[in-house]
Amino acid sequence: MGVEAENKEIENLIRENAKKLLSEKQVDVIIGYSQGTVPLSSTPIIIRKEEDVDKLVWNNLCYINLARYLAPLMPQLCDAEGNSLKIGIVAKGCVGRAINMLAVEKQLNLENIQIIGINCNGNVNRSKIDLEVGEKEILDVSISGDDILVKGKDWEQKFPFDQYVNELCKVCQVKSPSATGETCVGECQELETIHDEFADVAEYESKSTEEKWAYIKDALEPCTLCYSCRQACPVCYCNLCFVDQNLPVWFGKTTQLPDIFIFHLIRAFHLAGRCVACGACSSVCPVGIDLNMITRKLEEIVKKRYDFTSGLNAETVPPMMDFNMEDTEEFMLEED
Amino acid sequence: MEQKILKKDEIGKFYNDLVSEYNFYAPIKKKGNIIFEKIEKPEDIEINYLNSKIPPKSVLFPQMEVLFEYTLDEKDVEITDRQDLDQKILIFGIRPCDAYSFQLMANFFSFHGNWQDEIYLKKKENTTLIGIGCNTPRTTCFCTSVEGNPFNKENMDIFLTDLGETYLVEGISDKGKEIVKKLSWLSDATDKNVKKSQELAKQAEESITTKIDTSKIVENLETCFEHPVWEEISEACIGCGSCAYLCPTCTCFDVIDETDQYNNRGRRIRIWDTCQSCLYTLETSGHNPRDTKIQRCRNRIMHKFSYYPTNYELLGCVGCGRCVSVCPANNDLRTILDKIEKIEKEEDEKIVA
Repeated sequence: MGVEAENKEIENLIRENAKKLLSEKQVDVIIGYSQGTVPLSSTPIIIRKEEDVDKLVWNNLCYINLARYLAPLMPQLCDAEGNSLKIGIVAKGCVGRAINMLAVEKQLNLENIQIIGINCNGNVNRSKIDLEVGEKEILDVSISGDDILVKGKDWEQKFPFDQYVNELCKVCQVKSPSATGETCVGECQELETIHDEFADVAEYESKSTEEKWAYIKDALEPCTLCYSCRQACPVCYCNLCFVDQNLPVWFGKTTQLPDIFIFHLIRAFHLAGRCVACGACSSVCPVGIDLNMITRKLEEIVKKRYDFTSGLNAETVPPMMDFNMEDTEEFMLEED
Repeated sequence: MEQKILKKDEIGKFYNDLVSEYNFYAPIKKKGNIIFEKIEKPEDIEINYLNSKIPPKSVLFPQMEVLFEYTLDEKDVEITDRQDLDQKILIFGIRPCDAYSFQLMANFFSFHGNWQDEIYLKKKENTTLIGIGCNTPRTTCFCTSVEGNPFNKENMDIFLTDLGETYLVEGISDKGKEIVKKLSWLSDATDKNVKKSQELAKQAEESITTKIDTSKIVENLETCFEHPVWEEISEACIGCGSCAYLCPTCTCFDVIDETDQYNNRGRRIRIWDTCQSCLYTLETSGHNPRDTKIQRCRNRIMHKFSYYPTNYELLGCVGCGRCVSVCPANNDLRTILDKIEKIEKEEDEKIVA
């Protein structure tokens, strides 16, 4: 089955389940994706009425991790007293992982959440497409068979979907939410563990320390510290981010490289074992910075050291929040 | 008439004739993004661009800018002011919307009674704008709805029109006319050239299909501060600052001191701020009048389409469409304005009552 046909099937599954949940009053609202107003985009939408479910779409341009709207819970998802509504949420695998992480970290009550699971077939790497198209305006992006069809005023270009999908989607092994049948309608699975070789990190890993530093410096240099990456991140929910703390000021806020670097470095530390590999941070970056290598490296370290993958269930506490006598500690200085 | 012709392969010559006098800024491509930077060689100029990712406001109002530096000893503080404000700046290839934004920014930086922001205003005074008309505005552009035009020459010193093989060069201000006169090697334009430029201007204007009734929006904003529409408008917003950082008219800034206490010196820096940040308008008491996303989204729209018009009798938006194309959640400004435009008066009064 081609990507185009898969999309139709996923979209139908979303709409049918959304309609059912709303009509049976199992949920008050559905959060999903709607058609974007500019190419290479989609808009997160809250559906409240049964007749609006046809606004929900699936088009491989659904970058925002919808779990981001659950913690902190946005006021639009609360009743007049400030209590959570019953929320249906369209969830690809990484949204499911984020919901599990938020439940583990006690940021949401799963009783209020009804997952509409889908078997995600990946999102388009929009900065790669933008880069290749260059200074021509893209007027329309659609999926045609197994290709991404990009159209402009008097030109069109085809990109093979499997090559122009997000890098994280290429290596994703949790395509549908890992959840039980009670919390999830649609596609879901109960995953205990996954097997990952991290072949995509090998090239970075083979670099010398100087080369790694040069790579990171080069990648982060255009950063404007707009914090889109943090804002799009479903597990960056701190009431007050460390960079925003000003009593005392911990970190500089200029666009000099040390300030940019320290933000991304500390954010990476905070995400170790918590990142759900949705790639939203890179997809939303206005200047097209690719943070995927950092997130993949984090996943690799946590997987290899603690055999842990974030968000596979709603119970296991991530290793950085836990203490265990059996934890490996070869990084400690040895006693002579 | 002051109309001349510049051949496309003469841009290098054009640059060489002017670079000794000016810091020459032009659009270049860096990691796939078009940005305005001081260039070292004319080959780097990327003139065939739609519009720059980061607006050229960053030339006069950089994201991070040292206001002054200081040293101190036991009894005294010595302040060193900026020494570079008299340098002449030339911005080549700027679009009409961005050139207009400099005027809007200048209004802000000179507004506050007796206090004038000398750093911005001096730089602006020493800046020469050589702009270029937009032959192919983007579908996200709506400058014609906000007092602009893809061929608006008003804020330029010299205006170029891309005629295909050549540029039509027009001196607009006295400063611009002087430069055109100095570049005596430019050939004269023919009537045919001028006619073609007029046709291109007409085509460009007609190609802008987004039409927004801004007078209705300004009027509606007067009364809809508490309207539930803001809940709807802020629904998809993820609260990042990309709309503000890529906006050519956003002027908010924060001031920080960097202190090097071991060497008894420091510097005061201003950096861009954004009303979408949780620190924006946070008061010393801990209270923030704009504590929620709904209030922050509202502030952004109110500032551009209500507060700015109240203060300066002009809209605070130039219709470049950058925020439209960059928003990660696709919270499209055009859609937002459309929702505000459609608020009915009676309905609104009912809500207030």
